[in-house]
Amino acid sequence: MPESVPSSLIIDAFKEIFQAERRGAKRQDPLGWIISVPDTHQKSVLAALDKERSLRVLTCSTEDDANAVAAGLYMTGEPVIVMIQHAGLYASVNTIRGISMDGKIPIFYMIGLLSREKDKDPKDSRHSMVRFAEPLLDVFSIPHARLEGPDDVKLIAEYYRKSRERKGPAAVLVGLETA
Amino acid sequence: MMKPEEILKLIQAARGTAICVPTMTTSPAWRKIAPDDLSVGCIGFMGGASAMGLGLALGAPDRRVIVFDGDGSLLMQLGSIATIAGAAPRNFTHLLFKNGVYHTSGSQETPGGAGTDFAAMAKAAGYRNAYTITTLEDFKKRLPGLLTEDGPIMVQLITGLAESTPMTAGPSTPFHQQVAELRAKVTAD
Repeated sequence: MPESVPSSLIIDAFKEIFQAERRGAKRQDPLGWIISVPDTHQKSVLAALDKERSLRVLTCSTEDDANAVAAGLYMTGEPVIVMIQHAGLYASVNTIRGISMDGKIPIFYMIGLLSREKDKDPKDSRHSMVRFAEPLLDVFSIPHARLEGPDDVKLIAEYYRKSRERKGPAAVLVGLETA
Repeated sequence: MMKPEEILKLIQAARGTAICVPTMTTSPAWRKIAPDDLSVGCIGFMGGASAMGLGLALGAPDRRVIVFDGDGSLLMQLGSIATIAGAAPRNFTHLLFKNGVYHTSGSQETPGGAGTDFAAMAKAAGYRNAYTITTLEDFKKRLPGLLTEDGPIMVQLITGLAESTPMTAGPSTPFHQQVAELRAKVTAD
């Protein structure tokens, strides 16, 4: 059975990624950027990020904005992670294609699977927004993995790295609401 | 009516080390006026120029960032003005080339047409300042201030149509190449 992942583990993973990216860099403040359109599924992470002095969180009006802001930051050498919900993935498909894929811009996404049933694989969910997220990523050949418990936190760094290596999007889906 | 190309020539002469973000009908003209400069053109994701400019402004706080937006383009992602106002980058100049139509697709009138006041919207969203300029003389006179004043500021420019569009101008540098070149230049400093 999947388990909720504590927000502290996720934030520690973000910090480790950013520290590695900043090693030797002239600019150290902020350590990294979290570009977000608030996701109910990841609200404990967003609440904890509010208290983090070293990370800068920018809330955007839409996921289209979030993608474009992340791209601009990338072009200046800034490390960035985008946090959205599955509905935001659907809403911003053209921007992800046009910016991250066509622009060969490595953008790493944390995508919440709001309403995912604990006892079901997402492909068997009765909610279309849960069911179609992973197949949609497959259509665009966007590498993805799912957080199904604390042991999966290592996937965050792994898929962030994948986005850099392939110069394009990569995503980790958050299976259950974070703790 | 101001010609977009004349505005762009004045900007190129005054912009110094600013990063420029043209979109749609300003893109082909800008490539001719400022080849190989610090800029990235937004084609293929209409509406994204302002938010991309915001990311550049936050990541390069010591440079000015100038977005050459269009009225039709901004309408596609209008919420970005609240995102920009919230982030409040002091180095951000948002130029809005308002011609009242979707020039690239055949000059269909934009929703609201000439009556939509983007400067008023930007001010209401929380931009530090917003202006409307209708003549080249006035733009020329005010340009130095528009590139140094604390942002975010919006300048609504009432213009005619550009001489070419992305559809008529022929192929340009691929977007991914523009991204790679701009990143290399900005991060080399």
